[in-house]
Amino acid sequence: MIQNTPWLFLLLPLVVAAINWLCFKKCACMAATLSILSALATFGMCVAYLMGWQTGTPDTYTWMPALTEGMPSLSVGLLMDPLAMRMMLVVTGIGLLVHIFSLGYMKGDTSNHARYFTGLSIFMFSMTAIVLADNLAMTFIGWEMVGFSSYLLIGHWFEKASAADAAKKAFITNRVGDFGFLIGILLTLTVFGTISFGEMGGKAAAIAPAVLTATIICLFCGAVGKSAQFPLHVWLPDAMEGPTPVSALIHAATMVAAGVYMLVRLQVSMGEAAFTDTACTVIATVGAITAVLAALMAVQQDDIKRVLAYSTLSQLGYMVMAVGLMAGEAAMFHLYTHAWFKALLFLGAGAIIARCHHEQDIWKMGGLTKRMPLTVICFLMGTCALIAIPGFSGFFSKEAILDAALAKNPTFFWVGAGVAALTTFYMARLCLVAFCGEARAHGAAEAKEAGPTMLLPLLLLAVMAIISGYGFVADALVPFEGFHAHGFALGLPFYVSMGSLVLGLLLAYLVYGLGKRKQDPLAGNALSTALRKRLYIDEFYDKGLIALIQGNAARVVEFIDNAGIRGILTLGGAWLIGKIGKLLTWFQGGVLRRYAVVAALGALLFLLLIASATFTH
Amino acid sequence: MTNEYVSALYTWGQFTPEFALVALAALILMADCFVPQISKRVYPIVAAAGAFIAAFFMGQTSPFGMIACVTTALVLLLAYDYRKVTCASVGGAGVEEGTTELYSLLLVACAGVCALAEARDIIMLFVSLEVVTLSSYVMAGYFRRNQGSIEAGVKYLVLGALSTGLMVFGAAWYYGTTGSFMLSAELVHSLFTCPMVELQTGFFLAVGLLLLGAFFKAGAAPMQIWIPDVYQGSPTPVSAFLAVASKAAGFAVLAAILVPFSRLYSIHPEKVGIIVTSLAVVAAVTLLVGNLGAICQNNAKRLLGYSSIGQAGFILVFFTNIGTPGMMEYVVGYLVAYMLATTAAFYAIAMVRTQRGSEEISAFRGLGKTNPRTAFLITVAFASLAGVPLTYGFLAKFYSFASLVEATHYQSGLIWLLPFMIVGAAVGFYYYFKVLREMYWEKPQDGDKPLNVPVITAAVLTGCAIAIIWLGTEPLIFVAQ
Repeated sequence: MIQNTPWLFLLLPLVVAAINWLCFKKCACMAATLSILSALATFGMCVAYLMGWQTGTPDTYTWMPALTEGMPSLSVGLLMDPLAMRMMLVVTGIGLLVHIFSLGYMKGDTSNHARYFTGLSIFMFSMTAIVLADNLAMTFIGWEMVGFSSYLLIGHWFEKASAADAAKKAFITNRVGDFGFLIGILLTLTVFGTISFGEMGGKAAAIAPAVLTATIICLFCGAVGKSAQFPLHVWLPDAMEGPTPVSALIHAATMVAAGVYMLVRLQVSMGEAAFTDTACTVIATVGAITAVLAALMAVQQDDIKRVLAYSTLSQLGYMVMAVGLMAGEAAMFHLYTHAWFKALLFLGAGAIIARCHHEQDIWKMGGLTKRMPLTVICFLMGTCALIAIPGFSGFFSKEAILDAALAKNPTFFWVGAGVAALTTFYMARLCLVAFCGEARAHGAAEAKEAGPTMLLPLLLLAVMAIISGYGFVADALVPFEGFHAHGFALGLPFYVSMGSLVLGLLLAYLVYGLGKRKQDPLAGNALSTALRKRLYIDEFYDKGLIALIQGNAARVVEFIDNAGIRGILTLGGAWLIGKIGKLLTWFQGGVLRRYAVVAALGALLFLLLIASATFTH
Repeated sequence: MTNEYVSALYTWGQFTPEFALVALAALILMADCFVPQISKRVYPIVAAAGAFIAAFFMGQTSPFGMIACVTTALVLLLAYDYRKVTCASVGGAGVEEGTTELYSLLLVACAGVCALAEARDIIMLFVSLEVVTLSSYVMAGYFRRNQGSIEAGVKYLVLGALSTGLMVFGAAWYYGTTGSFMLSAELVHSLFTCPMVELQTGFFLAVGLLLLGAFFKAGAAPMQIWIPDVYQGSPTPVSAFLAVASKAAGFAVLAAILVPFSRLYSIHPEKVGIIVTSLAVVAAVTLLVGNLGAICQNNAKRLLGYSSIGQAGFILVFFTNIGTPGMMEYVVGYLVAYMLATTAAFYAIAMVRTQRGSEEISAFRGLGKTNPRTAFLITVAFASLAGVPLTYGFLAKFYSFASLVEATHYQSGLIWLLPFMIVGAAVGFYYYFKVLREMYWEKPQDGDKPLNVPVITAAVLTGCAIAIIWLGTEPLIFVAQ
C-alpha cells in the first residue's frame, strides 16, 4: 500500500472536486476549505518527496493490456523523476498560493464560489495527470482535462457574454492543436512502437528523419495550442476574462507551460536524436515569431491583464524557442522562474484590480504606490524579474536561453535580445503609468492595501521571484534532471541584454515620464492601431477563415449531407432495411404451419450445406 | 453402455447442486400442498435464495450453469414482483392458489441447464436438455386465463417437438457412425484420420442435426422461428428465463458439440472447415433476421425476442473461431453481458406492465420525466444491449468482432461475415433506442402517475446497471478469466 502513496497527488484533488460538486454546491465555505486543504496536502507531499521521502515505485494501473504482441497497453502510471517532481512543486506551490489568494479575491463576488473552487480542484487533478504521466495517452487525457477545467474557469462569470465567448474560443482553438497532437501520438505509436516515455529511448536512430520530423511537428501542434504559440495564440489574451487568480495559475504559470513541459519530456525520453534539424527549426521559429509578435502587441495594450497576457505569450515563445534550440534545460529553467514571477505579477494585478473597483485600464489608475505600497513593491519585484534586472531570477534564466541561442544560432540570439528590450519597455510603461503620478480615476483614488489572504501569497511569491534563480535554490528546484546553474561570465550575451534593458527603460521614461501623462502619446497612428487590434490576426480568423469555411465549404458539405447522406444513404437505407425487415416478419405472422415449414426448410438447407463438403470428395 | 462408461465420465458428487435444486423444487411443491399456512409469497424468495446458493457452487465448475442459476434466481425475484399479474392470469385476481408450481418448474429447468453444462456425452446432453424443454412448455403456457400464453405454450410445444426429433435423429446417426455417444476430441480426431471416408458424411449429418437442436434453444436461424411469438405470449418472468437461461443452455450444447473439433480444426482447418463455414452462414442469417425483424416491432417483449435472436448471432460469431483455445471464455463473457442487460430489461417491462397495464413500447412514455432515476437505469440496460461504449455490452460486441478477425487466421474467407455484423450492430442502435426515445422524447400523458418502483426491481436494476458500467470499464475482466 505505502508504495501507492503518490497516487494521492491525483486522487486528492479529484475526490475533493467530486465531493464539492456532489455535496457542497450550496456551501462555498466548505468547498473552499476542502480545496485548499487538498492543495496544501499535495504541496506538503511534494516537498516531502523532494526532501528525500521515499515510498517505492507506485503501481501502474493497466486499463487495457496489449492484446497482441507489439501493441502497446493502455495504462495509467506515475513517472516520478526529478523533472516531474520538481514540476509538481511549481504546480502545487503556485496552486496553493492561488487557492489562498482566491479567498480574498472572490470575497464580495456574487457568483457561486463552490463552483469556482471545484473548478480549481479539477484543474489541479488534470495538471497533475500531465506532469506525472508516464505515457502519452495519459498526457493526452490530462491535456484534455486541463482544457476542460480552463473552459469552466474562464467562463466562471458566464453571465458576461465576453467571458462565455472567451471560454468557447479557448476551447475551440485548443481543439485545432489537440487534433495535431492526437495524430502525433498515433504517429509516435506507429514509429516508436510505444507511447510510454520509459521505452522511447534509443529508438529514434532507426527511424527515417522525414517520419521523425512529421511526428515531432504533429506533437508540437499540441504545444502550439496549449502554450498559445503563433498562429493559435489568439485564445490566451481573451482568456483574461476569467477571474484573475485563474489567469495567474492556469494562463500564466502552469497550464500554458504544459506544452513546453511536454516537449522537454519528449526530448528527454526520445533522446536528442529524435529532434531532427527541420523539426527544431520549425519549433524555434514558431517560438521566436510568437515572442516578437506578442511583445509588440503588449506595447499598446491598456488593460493591465492583457499586457501581462501578451507578456506571457512572449515568454512562452522564448521557452519554445529554447526547446527548438535543443536547450531543454534552459527552457525548463525559464519556465520555472517565469512561473513564480508571472504568478506574482498576475496576483499583484489581481490585488490592484480588486482594490480599484475592478478597473483594469492602466490609464484609469495612477499613483498606486502611495495607496497600496506593499502590493506595488511585490509587483515591482515581479517586474524586475521579468525584465531581467541582474540579481533577480528572470535574469539568470533569460541569460541561459540567450547563451544557448548564441551558441546554436545567432539569429535567434538577436531576436531574443530585441524581445528583451520590448519587454522592458512595455513593463516599464505599465509601472510608470499605473503606479506613478496621480490617480486618474475614482477607483484608483480610493484604493487601499490588499488584505492578508492576498498579501501573504504576494509576499511569498516575491521572495521566490528574487531568489529562485540563484544556484542554491535553482539546483534543488529547477525541473530538470541534474540541473546545474552555470556561473555566468561577462560576455556578449550579458552586454547585449544589459543594453536592451537600459534601452527599454530609457525609451519608456522618455515616452511616459513619471506618470504625468493622461493618455498614451504613441496612440493614434497606424502602427499603434494595428498593434492594438492584435495585428488583425483575430479579425482575419473571424472574418476571413471562418466566414470562408462556413460560407462556402459549408455549402458543399450541406449539399453532400442533404442529397447524398440524408437522401440516399439514410432515407434510402432506412427504406430498404425497413422493407427487408417487413419481409422477414412476414414469416413471423403467427401461423404455426408456416413456422414449421420455414423451420424444416431451413434445417434442410443447413444439412445440405454441412454435408456438401463430402459430396465433392 | 455400461456402468463403467458412466462412472468414467461423471461422479455423483458433481451433480450435488442439481440434486439440491430438484429437491428444493419438490420441497416447495410439498409444502405448498400440505402446509397451507405458509404464505405463498415466501416460495419465490426461498427458491431464489436456493438458486443463488447453487450459482455459487456452479461458479466453480461450470460458467454456463452459473449464468443459468443467477438468471433463475433473478427470474424468481421478478416473479415475486409480478405476483399480481400471475394471480390474475391463473386463479383469478387476488387468488394465489396454483401459482407455486411456476417457482418449482423454474428450479427444475434450472437444474436441467446445470446438468447440461456438465454433459460430456449425448445421452446426458439430451436428457438434461429435455428437462429444460419440458418444464419450459408448461411454463410458457402457465397463464391459463390468458389466450396469448396458451398459444405460446402450444407453439413452443409443436416446434420444440420438431427440434427434439431432429436431435434424436442426429444422436442416432452419431452412434451409427462412431459407435459411441462420447463427445470427445479423441473421437473426432480418430474419425478424421481413419481411412473410411464414407463415415465422415454420416458424421457431418449427425453433427448438423445435433447443431439444429442447439440452434433451437439458442435462437439461431433457421430454428429461431418460435421466439417472437413465445416470448410475447409467455408470462414475463418465463420470457426472461427463456431469453437468458434457456439460451445459455443452447450455447452450452453448441459448445459441447463443437469444442471437440477445436484441436483438429486448428491443425487441419480444411477437414472440418465446412462446419465453421456453415456456422458463419447461420450467424449471418441470424444477425439479419433478428436485427432487421426488430425494426418494426412495437411490443417490448417481442422486441426483446428479436433482440435475443440478433444477440445470438453475435455469439455464434465466437464459434467461428473454434480453432483458438480459450474461445469459450468470450462466449461466457458475452452471455454475462447479455444476461445483465436482458434481465434488467425484462424487469422494466414487468414493472411497466404491472402498473400501466401494457407491454407496448409506448407504455414507457415519459418515464424520463416521471421516474428519472429508473429511466436512467433502464437506459443503461438498453445502451448495453445496443453496445454503447463504457457499457459491458460494448466490450462484448467488440470481442465478437475481434474474434471474427482472429477466425480469419484459419479461414481467410470468413471476413465476408463482417458486413452482416456491422449492419446488425448499427440497426441495433435504432430499435433499442426506440425505448429510450419513448422515455425521454415523449411527454407523459394525462393521468400517467410516476411508477412505484418495487424494492426488488429497484435493487436488481441498480445492481445490473452498476455491473454493466463497472465491467464495461474493465476490459481486463474479459481477458484474464
